[in-house]
Amino acid sequence: MPDSPTSPLRFHWSMSSAGARWRGAEPRAAQNGIPNFADYLEFCREAEACGIDSLLTAYGFHRPDPIVMASALGMMTKRIKFMVAVRSGLISPAAFVQQVNSVSALTNGRICINVVGGHTPKEQRGYGDFLEHDERYARTDEFLTICRAFWEGRSPVTYQGTYFQIEGGALNTPFVSEDRTGPEIFVGGASKVAKDLAVRHADCLWTLPRRPEELFEQFGSVIESGTEVGILVSMIARPTREEAVASTREMLEAIGTQAKKTHRDFSMRSDSVAFTSTLAMAEETQSDWLTPWLWTGAVPYLGAPAVALVGSYDEVAEAILEFKDAGITQFLFMGWPDLEEMHRFASEVRPRVEARERRNLRKARPIVLEPSMGGTR
Amino acid sequence: MNLKFHWRLLHGGETMGATRAAGNLSHSTALPDLENQTEFCRQAEVCGITGLLTNVGAPQPDPILLAAALGMRTEKIEFIVAYRSGLIPPTTFVQQLNTLSALINGRFSLNIVAGHSPLEQRYYGDFLEHDERYARTEEFLAVCHRFWEGAGPVNFPGRYYRIENGQLGTPFVSPSRTYPELFIGGGSEAAKELAISQGSVWMRLADAPERLESSIQPVLAAGKEVGLRMCVICRSTREEAVRAALQLVSGLDLGKNDKALERDFMRKSDSVSIRQAYELADTEWLTPWLWTGAVRTHGGPAITVVGSPEEVASAFIEYKKIGVTQFILAGWPKLEEMQIFGREVLPRIRAKEREMENTVNGHDYEHSNRREPFHAVPA
Repeated sequence: MPDSPTSPLRFHWSMSSAGARWRGAEPRAAQNGIPNFADYLEFCREAEACGIDSLLTAYGFHRPDPIVMASALGMMTKRIKFMVAVRSGLISPAAFVQQVNSVSALTNGRICINVVGGHTPKEQRGYGDFLEHDERYARTDEFLTICRAFWEGRSPVTYQGTYFQIEGGALNTPFVSEDRTGPEIFVGGASKVAKDLAVRHADCLWTLPRRPEELFEQFGSVIESGTEVGILVSMIARPTREEAVASTREMLEAIGTQAKKTHRDFSMRSDSVAFTSTLAMAEETQSDWLTPWLWTGAVPYLGAPAVALVGSYDEVAEAILEFKDAGITQFLFMGWPDLEEMHRFASEVRPRVEARERRNLRKARPIVLEPSMGGTR
Repeated sequence: MNLKFHWRLLHGGETMGATRAAGNLSHSTALPDLENQTEFCRQAEVCGITGLLTNVGAPQPDPILLAAALGMRTEKIEFIVAYRSGLIPPTTFVQQLNTLSALINGRFSLNIVAGHSPLEQRYYGDFLEHDERYARTEEFLAVCHRFWEGAGPVNFPGRYYRIENGQLGTPFVSPSRTYPELFIGGGSEAAKELAISQGSVWMRLADAPERLESSIQPVLAAGKEVGLRMCVICRSTREEAVRAALQLVSGLDLGKNDKALERDFMRKSDSVSIRQAYELADTEWLTPWLWTGAVRTHGGPAITVVGSPEEVASAFIEYKKIGVTQFILAGWPKLEEMQIFGREVLPRIRAKEREMENTVNGHDYEHSNRREPFHAVPA
């Protein structure tokens, strides 16, 4: 258990639903992949105004390419960073480093990467990738080893791996940033291989929410190793708890029940541990509330990342700090809809989090660390 | 149809007035230079240039992303995005290009090259030799076409690529096309065949028109276009143009260094066209207006049309007569030469083209049918 986390909490937002309020409720193949640039740009500018750290641009066959979007959006924005999702197996590592470095040079370092294993084998095959879950992570390990060799200035890069062979690799375009030689690396997942990958290569592991003490049980070793752990979580914060709970009901009514089938179908095709276990949990548990403020009721409709922090502004701020006590230091939020929620977060929730941190008004509720759960590195 | 003229984009690290070309071998091209490159794009729009070539290679930023960035800052100019197979699988490639098309309304074409250096290909994990790279590029483009045809999930059990039920949500967006125009670059037979089977335009280095004529026939007969990558030095008189050309190679302190660099580059390359151009340079003047004197310092694309505006315009018309329809040009100084071309040469070319059309429409029907194959007698 980190006694007093020294790094400040960092807040990111997902841009996956820019311009589409209930996008998660539709089957992926039915979604329109033509980006409405004005919607994306508005999303970026609002996020800049709200002090959001970076915006996740997700990867998927049904979406526009995230790094091309980042390059274009970077031209029209000043401060926001782009967290570009990447899967190994879709691009050669040297070509990827060259692309990331190019965006860094175009935007003065406003790019970080979110490395995911890919969550449905069927989709991966459309890209010519026929590996199964654990092998995809093994390949991602090689992929990141090569990428980091470039970023750590170890050119010419020569690498003889199972999945990649590189000889004498040297790129002229460096990673351009005021304070880094390579992008911040996020790794997504919940399986053991994902955790190992994060410990080896990442600055932060993204995972899906559980009760804080469960998260610490599951990811304490990652935190101990010096890699941060963050959660991908939705937010429904309102002036009072009653209003927040009423919003969850309105939300379910608005989506309808068609969406439920979409996500059960998706889950059957997916081999992602994080996604399938969250969906299973949401379907199996008796209550939709994992804690008084952690709600899974929308998961069957909107997918695994719809586990939500629900409550009054004070409660949601308190919840964020409970996660902080469990060692969670970064948050990737989603809202339904995003921009309204982002504004409530910026004007109501975040100031409360910061005020509590400053005044240290909260009673300490340390989670006791069993000796066997200590760090492994 | 009027001739189409493209220009090579100014690289980051190059100044508008630069006269060196070997710079793309050095570290100076590592970074984009948005201010100067955007200005160059705007000047190209003014000069009547259709597209700007963004090179691909380990010494430079990624051309797709550079085109996305510059596309956000311009209205009309198109980009010719150079790319190679072996860097990125076709599904990802199409997804990136379709995204780019949606952002800049389809304002780009592709210049597909096979890669000129086996050493550099290995940086990207590509260990194939010359002819195999073309065979792979053939499959690569075949998969791309399947996505652009949009006839449902793509299945492709190939030798180099295996795709199962590939789908993409973002289509190619353009007011006039369903896929980008495809320039296929290269001087070898393999490149020519690839242009015929998968491309829109065979893009090669220049030579004298009478020597090109037979080499481009099969491409034209297959209904594809031919384009030339070359340079221009135009001044108000032939004497001044020749002097500018000779100064380019003799007036540089770095001349010797450029020569050694270019020789080294050529040695490491397995590109047929780079070798051919290097050999052509044994003869300094291929025609009274086609000069090879800069090839050994500035590389294969530096085969140059040299002359007065009238002479340069006539030279391009010579190419038009044998069936060449597009050009990717460059010159020195980089900006000024493009401005001279736009101001002095292009209007003369257009006037000559109008003249040709009037001749064809008014008198010479036989000439207008020259390119139609005649199959009256069965073989």
